[in-house]
Amino acid sequence: MHGERALYCIFGVATALTALLILYPAYHALELSFQDLDSFISEPVWIGFGNYIDVLNMPEFWNALGRGLIFSGTTITLQVVLGIGFAMLLDTTIPAKPLVRGIAVLPYLLPTIIVALTFQWMLDSTVGVFTQGARLFGYSYIPWGENGGVAMTVVILLSVWIWTPFVTLAFLAGLQAVPGELYEAARVDGASAWQRFWHITLPQLRPVLTVVLLLRAIWMFNKFDIIWLTTRGGPLQATEHLPILAYRKTFELYEVGQGAAVSAISFVILSAFILVYFYFFPLDEKE
Amino acid sequence: MSKLTDKNRKLLSGTAGSSRRTVIKGLGAAAGAAAIGLHAPFVHSADKTIRFLNGEPSAESVRAMRFAAAQYEKETGTKVQMDTVPAGKAYEKVQASIKSGRPYDIATLIFVGDVLILAGEGKLVPINDIIKKYDWGPRILFPMKGDNFWYPYDYNLCWINCRQDLYDAKGLKAPGDWAGMMSNLGALQGDGDGQLPYGIVHPIGSNGATNYTAFGYMWANGVHLFDDNWKVVLDSPEIAAKAGEYLDFMAEMTKYMPPAPAQAGWPNLVGDFQTDKISHTPGTGRLIDTMNVRMPDRAANVGAFLFPSKGGESFAVNHGYDGWVVLDTAMSDEALRFLEWFSDEHLINFLHTSPVHYQPTRLDIYEDPRWQAHPALEQFKRITDMQKQVLSDKKIIIRSIDTEGPEPDVRAGKVFRSYALPEMLQNKILKGMSNADCITTAANKIREIAAG
Amino acid sequence: MNDITLGRRAALYGLVCVTVLYSFFPIYWMLISSFRDDRSLYANFSLLPGPFSLTNYEVLLELTDYPTWFTNSILVAFGTVCITLVISVLIAYSVTRLQFRGKMVVVGTMLYAYMFPPLLLAIPLFSLFVKLGLADTRLSLMISHCTITLPLGVWLLWGFFKQIPMDVEEAAMVDGCSRLRAFILVVLPLTLPGVLTVAIFSFLLSWTDYTFALVMIGTDSLKTLPAGLDTMVGSYELRWGELMAGSTLIALPLLVMFMFLSRYFIHGLSAGALKG
Repeated sequence: MHGERALYCIFGVATALTALLILYPAYHALELSFQDLDSFISEPVWIGFGNYIDVLNMPEFWNALGRGLIFSGTTITLQVVLGIGFAMLLDTTIPAKPLVRGIAVLPYLLPTIIVALTFQWMLDSTVGVFTQGARLFGYSYIPWGENGGVAMTVVILLSVWIWTPFVTLAFLAGLQAVPGELYEAARVDGASAWQRFWHITLPQLRPVLTVVLLLRAIWMFNKFDIIWLTTRGGPLQATEHLPILAYRKTFELYEVGQGAAVSAISFVILSAFILVYFYFFPLDEKE
Repeated sequence: MSKLTDKNRKLLSGTAGSSRRTVIKGLGAAAGAAAIGLHAPFVHSADKTIRFLNGEPSAESVRAMRFAAAQYEKETGTKVQMDTVPAGKAYEKVQASIKSGRPYDIATLIFVGDVLILAGEGKLVPINDIIKKYDWGPRILFPMKGDNFWYPYDYNLCWINCRQDLYDAKGLKAPGDWAGMMSNLGALQGDGDGQLPYGIVHPIGSNGATNYTAFGYMWANGVHLFDDNWKVVLDSPEIAAKAGEYLDFMAEMTKYMPPAPAQAGWPNLVGDFQTDKISHTPGTGRLIDTMNVRMPDRAANVGAFLFPSKGGESFAVNHGYDGWVVLDTAMSDEALRFLEWFSDEHLINFLHTSPVHYQPTRLDIYEDPRWQAHPALEQFKRITDMQKQVLSDKKIIIRSIDTEGPEPDVRAGKVFRSYALPEMLQNKILKGMSNADCITTAANKIREIAAG
Repeated sequence: MNDITLGRRAALYGLVCVTVLYSFFPIYWMLISSFRDDRSLYANFSLLPGPFSLTNYEVLLELTDYPTWFTNSILVAFGTVCITLVISVLIAYSVTRLQFRGKMVVVGTMLYAYMFPPLLLAIPLFSLFVKLGLADTRLSLMISHCTITLPLGVWLLWGFFKQIPMDVEEAAMVDGCSRLRAFILVVLPLTLPGVLTVAIFSFLLSWTDYTFALVMIGTDSLKTLPAGLDTMVGSYELRWGELMAGSTLIALPLLVMFMFLSRYFIHGLSAGALKG
């Protein structure tokens, strides 16, 4: 077949670009984790797995890992459940459909810094609009700066608010492709709405679900900015997960090596997760 | 490069020539005139470039720095490129620039710890000759093994700003001790005439605002973290007692604070004060300078006092300090020359861009008629007098978490950024832990950090 | 029967209202807060807009160089979109049409970009740009944004190209088209919705990025909006009204753009994106 050579060329160039722009920095980050460094500009001292041993011996690390799993697990679940819900809703015949669809996607358009600022303002302990709302229910304010559980809930809900539209959009797209005859047949067989969803919609959406879950899992496990900008990992470390710990070590506590080791460990955990994930949900079934 | 130069010029003249209200009018106009004046003839001359990382992003300060840079290029032919980042991001930016092999020649840093790291790696050049030329105020030079790497340009002190108009109406005096502070807060809180809903905001969350504004009372009360050999003494019987008094005081003061001090940050410190929610706010002269621009009639109503100790024996301010370092680059000599020129010719203009806030570090500046000429310094005399008193009165304590210990050291910087002390406050105020437990927990965390 | 559908309809309308409120209220609040003065922000609480005031915007525009930053953001975002589109289309297409072992590894490896803290990746990238003589240029920022947009683009487009049967372009090639012509004339039009979707996602990622902008750009006149406004947000004298005005100034172009493009955006996804 002609054009094959060109395709291989393109692929080669792409591989080189990937290596340069992605693998090279990633390799560099890994390298740092084997060095004893106060700062990025220090003379590196190779210490093998020293940083890893230090990190794995720190209770903060295990606490942060646990919190990270809670954070990412909860946000992904909520995003997917809500996302499917919104997608199903937006797929039915509703008034002003294009407008409603557009509005449902808006949160995804805002930079994280803006969401963090806006919600902090809405939660302001005296004049915030949510605070005014909470007063109707007898609470004087929402203690996200005081209570670790509330803080975690707030960052989870914020993440869900921002990133659910990604799932919604993907599902909405997937729903368009489900053949209508399948539903017709099921209706004839007397299947309930729930059965139709469970036996037709979900299996049909499995390819979408696979990619979306994977991307969301990677992104949420590494999600740094929303927590940093809202709670900085506080109060009393209640929202400090691995990315925050890595950032604090690297840029605040003059422990660049340890910070890089934290990132590297979370990278290993994610890679393992992805391998297992691909084993159970192969992406490339057809080929 | 020449493209960048042109862009900068365009920006410079564009900013100055636009119809925006210039904040510091005199200087703004001068900068504008100069910028437009030099627009044409100097395109050819920029073969040497000093790269300067400015950490003061306010529009007036940036304008003053660019004006100085333009003047310098005019006089010497050496171009000075001014890049600006928020001071809190400067250290990351400097590291990235060094790592890339294209370091800045001069940079702003706001932590002694950052300076020490860079100096220890041999990335800085000493500026002893420049430092020697002037007479410096107390506790502002942080020499490292006899060398000065750091040109501090302001004290950035934190004290307590208050509503002088309300103080006058009720016949109150600046409090001399904690009991006085409580009674003033109480007198001004309520819904009566001359009263406001709350007394004061003190952030207690794990953030820079808390580190900077919450511990003045503790320093005044005689608490320090380390002894002369870097042993942690926070939980020694004598110091722990004083720290315990401080914790009780802060916990009691929460009744005069808006709810949720752990959520408070800079927007609350400034906004709540300016919108009549609180009668006191810990802060700097920046509050006065910005109010003077945006609401001049209300700026006149701002009073200030120092953090008192429990019994009123001593007073304190919290140290903020900002400064410049010269990096070890091919342009180091040029950079040193520029810094010296700047410090003689333009530092005062720069300080005038936030006149009350940028408290001079050099004693000779206080005597300099050029500095004294700024009207705000006369207008807010009671505050500038207080600033001067801080420097001359040996009894007034100037401390901060990141400068604790017998000599400048990275350990203090780590303690600052570990938020061990804000957590001590949180344990007391949010969790209701006993003073002893709060202090022991904090002391142990500091030990761990200082050891690691 | 009629009652049931009526009830269902009411429930549906209710759900739609909740969805709209949930998604839009924070944005609404940001907007109306930015147009209030201090007195109404702090004292007179009201859910309705007004009283209308431009004070916050005046303060902010006086303090910042918004027009320059806005222009830079536009340039960088468009640049990023162009680079991302060309490269991710080529990669995704060649990946779907080539059969050999190991291609999954390359595509999978691209996801590494999402697995490290961006700042840790940004610093070595910056060193690389210095060596290439690209440091402190808009181009370097575009390229670094591509490390985030490319993997997404390749993964999304991969799904699109897989949907298009080989026969389509082979038929064209039999008719005498070169592969390039077949691709441009036949395959690309079919996947246009997907390409648009990737364009919009890339635009968003680039427009909202802060970390790379901080590291890559030094010169003030080259800063993008998030990095530029951070210099203001980072200084402590701003109050809530001004912060909300700043937020609106970043978000507004996106909201406006979205109003015009949402049709394509939704349509692009609806046309079968992500059928991976």
